[in-house]
Amino acid sequence: MLKPEEYFEPLNDSEKNDEYIPMESKSFAKDVWERFRHSKRAMVGLILLTIIVLFAVIGPFISPYPYDGMNTSIANNGPSLSHWFGTDQMGRDEFTRVLYGTRISLMIGFVATFVNVLIGVIYGGVAGYVGGKVDMILMRIMDVIYSIPAMIYIILIMLILGSNVYSVMIGICVNGWVNMARLVRGQIISLKEREFAIAAYVLGASRKRILFKHLLVNTLGPVIVTATLMVPQAIFNEAFLSFIGIGISAPQASLGTLAQDAKMRLAMYPMQMVYPVAVICLVIFSLNFIGEGLEDALNPKGRK
Amino acid sequence: MSEATIRVEHLKKFFPVKGKLFGPKQYVQAVNDVSFSIQKGQTLGIVGESGCGKSTLGRTILKIYEPDSGKIFFEGTDITALNQAQMHPWRKKMQMIFQDPYASLNPRFTVGEMIEEPMKIYQMYDKKERAERVQQLLALVGLKPDHIRRYPYEFSGGQRQRIGIARTLALDPEFIVCDEPFSALDVSIQAQIINLLEKIQDERQLTYIVVAHDLNAVRHISHAIGVMYLGHLVEIGPAEKIYREPLHPYTKALISSIPVADPDTAGMMNRVILEGEVPSPIHVPSGCPFSTRCKYCTEQCREKMPVLKEVDDRKVACTLYE
Repeated sequence: MLKPEEYFEPLNDSEKNDEYIPMESKSFAKDVWERFRHSKRAMVGLILLTIIVLFAVIGPFISPYPYDGMNTSIANNGPSLSHWFGTDQMGRDEFTRVLYGTRISLMIGFVATFVNVLIGVIYGGVAGYVGGKVDMILMRIMDVIYSIPAMIYIILIMLILGSNVYSVMIGICVNGWVNMARLVRGQIISLKEREFAIAAYVLGASRKRILFKHLLVNTLGPVIVTATLMVPQAIFNEAFLSFIGIGISAPQASLGTLAQDAKMRLAMYPMQMVYPVAVICLVIFSLNFIGEGLEDALNPKGRK
Repeated sequence: MSEATIRVEHLKKFFPVKGKLFGPKQYVQAVNDVSFSIQKGQTLGIVGESGCGKSTLGRTILKIYEPDSGKIFFEGTDITALNQAQMHPWRKKMQMIFQDPYASLNPRFTVGEMIEEPMKIYQMYDKKERAERVQQLLALVGLKPDHIRRYPYEFSGGQRQRIGIARTLALDPEFIVCDEPFSALDVSIQAQIINLLEKIQDERQLTYIVVAHDLNAVRHISHAIGVMYLGHLVEIGPAEKIYREPLHPYTKALISSIPVADPDTAGMMNRVILEGEVPSPIHVPSGCPFSTRCKYCTEQCREKMPVLKEVDDRKVACTLYE
């Protein structure tokens, strides 16, 4: 039988580090990407969106037809080798117009989202961090802005600035940031009581530094997810405005105005309606898939 | 006697609580009329049960909370009324070690960034020197040089607490409030952290306030002990004296609650069992706060709050010793 001291024997030096398994230290972005990559839907969305964006950006340059070049002798043609999606009632190449419209729609979506995120994060961050009376006043101002429907702002802005891309963008931005500001404010209120924020304060950090370097970086996850879902919303809003006839005016086109044009000839040439609507659907689907994928990647369960 | 590193006079911190709409405003009396001083290189342990205001006391001294009345002196300078900008030169010397090593490190910072940050805030050294300092500090607290690129979630509780200590030491402080630095750690790690804190104290002549409810750990590290009950400091004096021969009835109960490892001695100890609950800090009893649970309570105790009085080189706030 073994004596107690014989139960164990010391390791020799060469084996001492055998249990040490170094793990690669991942930065935040890399870690998120690793998890994002494993979601099939999210990757499908990302690839789809990349293709659409590439087409929209370089398509109009390589297309042999200008988006506003009319040729009434070939009006309302069906798809052919020279005109892939056919032509519209003015004889303009439908494929070029869809590409061009996608570009305008995407631009509105991304620019409006960028502005909304910027305003929303700063406004919500300041309201949440400063708190007290400042928070109260900022929140009431926001309530007032939010209580008026977006449609009214847009129509008023169109009256003054004319119906073009910029007035649509401004119109979408006037109260689009409100939800982002609410989200960020809530996050900041809970984060600012955490010990790491107090630690930064004790270490002598200014309020500005604490808010921007310590608190806002920690709201990044939900902000990115919300922003991703704001893009399709802006695109959809623009399409809706154009569809009811208060959006961008001809010869410029967005996906919404293309659908609006096709509406009148829906009974005779239904395909003219299908193209822009299909693109809207694909863009919105892919962005929603990406948003969901990001949400899962940013909030993994069972990990601190 | 030379100027104390920290001197606190009649410090009060009340937190308003939401009461009824038209009722009188109510307050949690977290810290009520606390006075003491600590000499350079000494450690004051603050003990007391949960909710007695010991963490609030530590945080109020560091001006995380604005005191409601009373004065705080750091090396003879009154810092009570300074705002964050005016506190800037003082913050460098007065630091804090936090209770929860999981919450006190920003999850989006690497260890290197975290330890470098205080030096950046104070624009100390140039970039290269800062990198060297980070390495020195990591070595001091017993972490490996290649840890600087890692994120807090990759470390254990004890390692995180060391990261927090390294960050605190980056500024070369003279005074540190340790807010329950051991309570989130298991016993073997506690010992390491205590030894680390003592080692640094010896090397740099640091002054500590250690807030804790682990009476044994506090005894080990402290030169003096302050006992708090419901926001009041009821007894303060040299650590060994208070542990051997507590005077205040509450201190007696507290000290007798320390488990004794030897079963023979344990049987001989007279355990003082307190009856009743701690009163709510919103409705502190009039007179001595301990009067509702004290077996020596007299009529006088219920009427008048006893003041801290010198009784053989310590101070006790109890009618029995007046």
